[in-house]
Amino acid sequence: MISPVKIWRRQKDIRNRLGQKGTVVAWTTVYVAGNDFKKYAPYPVAIINLANGDKITCQLVDCEQKDLQIGLPVVVTLRKVREESSEDVITYGLKAKPL
Amino acid sequence: MKIYVTGYYTTRFGEIWEQSLSELIDEAITGVLKNAGIDKKQIDAIFFSNMLAGVLGNNLHTPSKIAEIMGVNIPIFRSEAACASGGIAFHLANNYLQAGAAKTVLVVGAEKMTDYSPEETTGALMTAASGEEQAAGLTFPGLYAIIANYYLQKYGYTEENLAYVGVKNHFHGSLNDKAHFRNIITVNQVLKSACIAAPLKVLDSSPISDGAAALVLTSDKKMIGKMKNKVTILSTKTASDAISLSKRKNLDTLLAVKIAAEQAFREAKLARRDINVAELHDCFSIAEILAMEDLGFWKKGEGGARIKELSTQFGSGSPLIVNTSGGLKAAGHPVGATGVKQIGELFLQLCGQAEKRQVKNCRYGLAHNVGGSGGTAVVTILGI
Repeated sequence: MISPVKIWRRQKDIRNRLGQKGTVVAWTTVYVAGNDFKKYAPYPVAIINLANGDKITCQLVDCEQKDLQIGLPVVVTLRKVREESSEDVITYGLKAKPL
Repeated sequence: MKIYVTGYYTTRFGEIWEQSLSELIDEAITGVLKNAGIDKKQIDAIFFSNMLAGVLGNNLHTPSKIAEIMGVNIPIFRSEAACASGGIAFHLANNYLQAGAAKTVLVVGAEKMTDYSPEETTGALMTAASGEEQAAGLTFPGLYAIIANYYLQKYGYTEENLAYVGVKNHFHGSLNDKAHFRNIITVNQVLKSACIAAPLKVLDSSPISDGAAALVLTSDKKMIGKMKNKVTILSTKTASDAISLSKRKNLDTLLAVKIAAEQAFREAKLARRDINVAELHDCFSIAEILAMEDLGFWKKGEGGARIKELSTQFGSGSPLIVNTSGGLKAAGHPVGATGVKQIGELFLQLCGQAEKRQVKNCRYGLAHNVGGSGGTAVVTILGI
C-alpha cells in the first residue's frame, strides 16, 4: 500500500495542471502491465505537449482506439490512478481526455 | 596506461531455475578464472553489476556475499544503473585500473529474474523510470513503444521495418549455444506475435532471463605477456540524460548515446567504418535502429529502411556485423549481466573464439549499453 503521506506529497503539483489543454506528441497502448495496473489493461498512455510548453506523461481516458493519433487535442483532468485493495486510500492523479 | 581484457566466461542465459543468483555468480567467476588461466589470488578487486536483487529478492550487500563465495577479502563494488549496470561496472573497473588502484580485476554481472511473475518483474524494472511514468502505468516496453510509434510516424515506416531486428538477432542466437533463444523466426511470426505495448510485440522484445557473465581486466604487463587471448580497451565512455521521455528534447534520439559515442570514437581515434563487430542494446527492436543512428553508423531516419537490407547480419559480407551474440533479443537479457556479456562477445570475436558465428578479420568492436530508456549510456570500443 502507498502511504497517504506519499500520495499527498505527490499531489502537490496536480492542481496547477488541471484543466490545461495540450496535444498528444506520442502515444502507446499498454497491453502487458505491472501488478498495480494489470486490471486496467489495455490502456493508452501519451506524452502531452501542454499549451504553456511543459510536457507531461499520463494515461488517456474517454478515448477510442481509432482516435489515438499524434496531434490529438486533449485537456488534463483528475482521475483515479490506482486502487490496490478495497480498503486502501485511492490514489488520484492526472489523466487527459480528448477535447 | 593500456588495459586489456584477458578472459571471459558466461553462463547459459535463460530460465535457469536450478541455479540461484549466488550459484550463477559462482559459475561465472570459476569459469572466467579457468578460461584466463589465473588464480583468485591474482585478483585485486571485483566490480559487480546487478539491478534487481534488492527489489525482487531481498538480497543486497552482494559484494560481501561474493567474498564469501570466493573466499577472498579484496575490495568488491556493486554498480546499479538499470540495464546499463554491466557497462558501468566495466567502465568503473577500467578507471580503477587506469588510476593504478589495482593491477587485475574481475567484472561480474548477474541477474535472477525468472523466479518472479512477469508482472512483478515488469513492476521492478519500472523502478528505473520516473515517478510520473510509473504513475501513468507505463512499462519499459511502453516507453520504447512511445518512441517507436513516434519514429514510425515521423519517418513513414511500419511495424514490418522493426520486425527485421528480431529476425536477424534470432538467426545469430541460433549460432550461440549460450543464448536464451536459439530458434530462427520470420518477419511474419514477429508481426503475428502478441502485442505488449503498441506497436511492439513479444518478438520485438528481449526476454526476462537469468544469467551471469564475467571478464578479467588487467594492466599487469607480466600477465599480459603470458596471455594468448587479449584485447585492448581503446575507450569506454558513459553519459546520462533526463530519465523522463517528456523531459527530453528529441524522442527519436537518445542523447546520452550520442554523447558517449562521440567521446569514445574521439578517444579511440577511430572512424565509424573501422568497427567490424558491434553489440548493441536491442532491448526492443526500435532500440537497435535508434542505436545504429545515434552511434553514427546510419543517418537519422534511415534506420527503418536500412535494417530491411539485413546488411548487419552474419554472413552478409558487409563490414559491420551487429549483435552476433543474438543481442538482448535472442541471447537473453539478465539485466546486470547484459553489459558484461556484450564486452565478452566482442572479446570472443576479436580473439577468433566465436566459433560458428565468427566474423572474419575483426579488428575493432563496439559495445553499446543503455539503462532506463536512455537515462544512462555506455559506449566501449575494443581492439586487437
